[in-house]
Amino acid sequence: MKHYVLKRLGQSVLAVLGAATLVFFIIRLSGDPARLMLPPEASEEQVTALRESLGFNQPLWMQYIDYLKNLFTGDLGNSLYYKESALKLVLERMPATIDLAMFAIVIAVTVGLLAGIVSAYKKNSWIDYVVNGWIFLTQSLPVFWIGIVLIMIFAVNLHWLPTSGNRGLESIILPALTLAAYPIAPIARTMRASLIEVMDKGYMITSQAQGFSKPSRILKRGLKNAFLPVITVISLEFGVMIAGAVVTETIFSWPGVGQLIIQGVSNRDFPLVQASILVISIIYIAITLVTDLIYHRLDPRIKVH
Amino acid sequence: MKKSKFLLILTLLAVFAAGCSTTSKSGAGEEATGEGQDQKLEITIARAFDVNGLDPGFLTENAQVVDNIFDTLVKRDAEEKLVPGLATSWSQIDDTTWQFKLREGVTFTNGEAFNADAVKYSLDRVLDPANNAPTASYVSTIQEVNVVDEYTVNVVTKKPDPLVPTRFNRYPTEIVPPKYAEEVGQEQFAQKPIGTGPYQFVSWDKGSNVVLEANPNYWGGEPDVKKVTFRSIPEASTRVSALLNGEVDLITAVSPEDREKIESSSTARLSTVERAGNTVYVGFKTDVKPFDDPKVRQALNYAIDVKSIVDKVLQGAAVQTNSLIGPKDFGYAGEPEGYSYDPEKAKQLLAEAGYPNGFSATLDTVSWYIKNTDVAQVIAEQLKAVGVNIKVNNVESSVYRTLVPAGKQSDMYVLGWSSTNTLDADAAIYAILRSGESYSTYANKDVDAKLDEARSVTDEAKRKQLYQEIQDEVLKDAPRIFLYQENQYYGVSDGLKWDGRVDGSIPVSTISAGNE
Repeated sequence: MKHYVLKRLGQSVLAVLGAATLVFFIIRLSGDPARLMLPPEASEEQVTALRESLGFNQPLWMQYIDYLKNLFTGDLGNSLYYKESALKLVLERMPATIDLAMFAIVIAVTVGLLAGIVSAYKKNSWIDYVVNGWIFLTQSLPVFWIGIVLIMIFAVNLHWLPTSGNRGLESIILPALTLAAYPIAPIARTMRASLIEVMDKGYMITSQAQGFSKPSRILKRGLKNAFLPVITVISLEFGVMIAGAVVTETIFSWPGVGQLIIQGVSNRDFPLVQASILVISIIYIAITLVTDLIYHRLDPRIKVH
Repeated sequence: MKKSKFLLILTLLAVFAAGCSTTSKSGAGEEATGEGQDQKLEITIARAFDVNGLDPGFLTENAQVVDNIFDTLVKRDAEEKLVPGLATSWSQIDDTTWQFKLREGVTFTNGEAFNADAVKYSLDRVLDPANNAPTASYVSTIQEVNVVDEYTVNVVTKKPDPLVPTRFNRYPTEIVPPKYAEEVGQEQFAQKPIGTGPYQFVSWDKGSNVVLEANPNYWGGEPDVKKVTFRSIPEASTRVSALLNGEVDLITAVSPEDREKIESSSTARLSTVERAGNTVYVGFKTDVKPFDDPKVRQALNYAIDVKSIVDKVLQGAAVQTNSLIGPKDFGYAGEPEGYSYDPEKAKQLLAEAGYPNGFSATLDTVSWYIKNTDVAQVIAEQLKAVGVNIKVNNVESSVYRTLVPAGKQSDMYVLGWSSTNTLDADAAIYAILRSGESYSTYANKDVDAKLDEARSVTDEAKRKQLYQEIQDEVLKDAPRIFLYQENQYYGVSDGLKWDGRVDGSIPVSTISAGNE
């Protein structure tokens, strides 16, 4: 167990470093922040002066070494656009994103589990087909389309909910539903498959022989054993939600990290994008790590590969 | 079976309950803004982005929000004419010196007095190269600002500059309080600004909104709107939904596709500002074959049916023009006679230039402009009809902004330009026609000389004449395919009286209750 934890921790640190390196180079491949910070009329001398003062005229490898050095001291630099600590900006916006992801994951888990259980229980019945069809549909619809349709229905036509912003509980419902639409499918599918598999297991047949009714067998024995793979899917989907709130946050002008990233990328705000991606990677990797450890604990058969 | 049914019903109930509780909440919420009958008029304005700082001297976006907190020496009225602001009058006292007489008795909202020292301080910090002010280029002609007496300043320019008064109308020349700015430092000032303007800063919730409230002691009289919230809603269709839902009272940057939705609504109306946007054209690299031949460039102008593009592709969201100078710009001389749609003449000119069978080229385009990809495709189709094969290349907008100044765009490229920072022909054409400028791919010695002269003589008649000559020559030489100038659209809630402006500003003090 100890060996496993250490090994997984080591892998996680490497993964964070990898993400930090990737984002550093990718964002630099695609543009010049100095040009974007100045009005188009600005002269080439002005652009050069600004580039120098930002340190972007140095060779890439030197910038990279500086970046790594600062990274280890926890200094992620100042946002070029906001002229404030990039890490502070990201952490200020993080709670909004986490609120949204939590709300969405609760919806997705509730709906996904119910759908999965119902369709497994009524395997190959019309209800199974309806649930599967619906899941297939939500997974193939683009997020922004779902978001805009929800706004049209619930905000513009029914006036039940606000279109956008972050002003209390009612404004989180539409973005959370939008964000939840996608992960419902994998959760439901995994739940269904896992439950069907478990129901064919020997102990389930034994419990049938013992005279337990089908619903109570599923609830008492089946679910417990079928949950394991579902937990992995849920935790991964939660990580994906935090990273994937970009589109949803933009549609609903939800003031979270997703919107910050979009803005950062279009301004080529290197430090801001780096800090956002780094924080999100750490969260994502931490979730994966914790899930693996829980999983390992629950099912000691899982070995280090 | 019973148990799962029970669970299902429970969930349905929970969802229903959640729906109910939110309806009652939003009903009692703070949405009742913009209604005239309240004694306190409070409005919300939704823009596409949040501010990134509130110091007018160091903005990298436009000044829509900060212009309400600060004043400039010179203002523009509803007709965009220059009128007194913090300066009561101005005059040119010699070739390179402009004198401004300042308004007396004005104080900043923290009590600090407005005077000549404040003007000098505000400009000096922008001109200081060590501060790297992003918009320093807007005032780079200024040598120094001298205090003559408490209410008189002299602005000395490096060369004669006819645009000094208009430069003192737009950022970065807003006047800031020296004592406060020094005390809190540049970074803090951008978070909590203080000015002399009609509104004072209340709060800034980053990524969401900026709240301002009326300055009761404003020298120009207390404005009607007592509180204004600038919200950022990046998605264009969400902005429209928020307006139609009554959550916001005014929205900027309405996409042309959403015009109909607002026009047909019973709660809001569309405010159209004709030709307030970019003048869009197809540029040629005029030093590259075959575009070095004016005949080829003229031929391509004849080959494009601009009217049908404006009518059918843009659905009237722009105005066809052969003038690179807009009607509100100084130097506009009406619509020049341009190129008609004449594919036969185009073919003939191409043959004369030695391309009877046409040629192939790439056209770069970028999503900044209305329906740009569609427009580029139609241009490609129309050019194909005269034998020119065009490959359309879509470029991401941030990339485009670094590509073009480096000269790395294709030989044909779509670009738009606007003059909103000065509303003068100089801003409209200098940067795109003067050889050596970052966004220019044209080199014509005669035009260069005239452009330089026009920005250094102060005689208005002479300037107008120079711009007329430049336009005539450029039209004939055709360094671009002349297309159209875009309109801009705002959505305004029915309870408000306001119309969009060519300069793109939103002076909240000019908004009042009532229907248009």
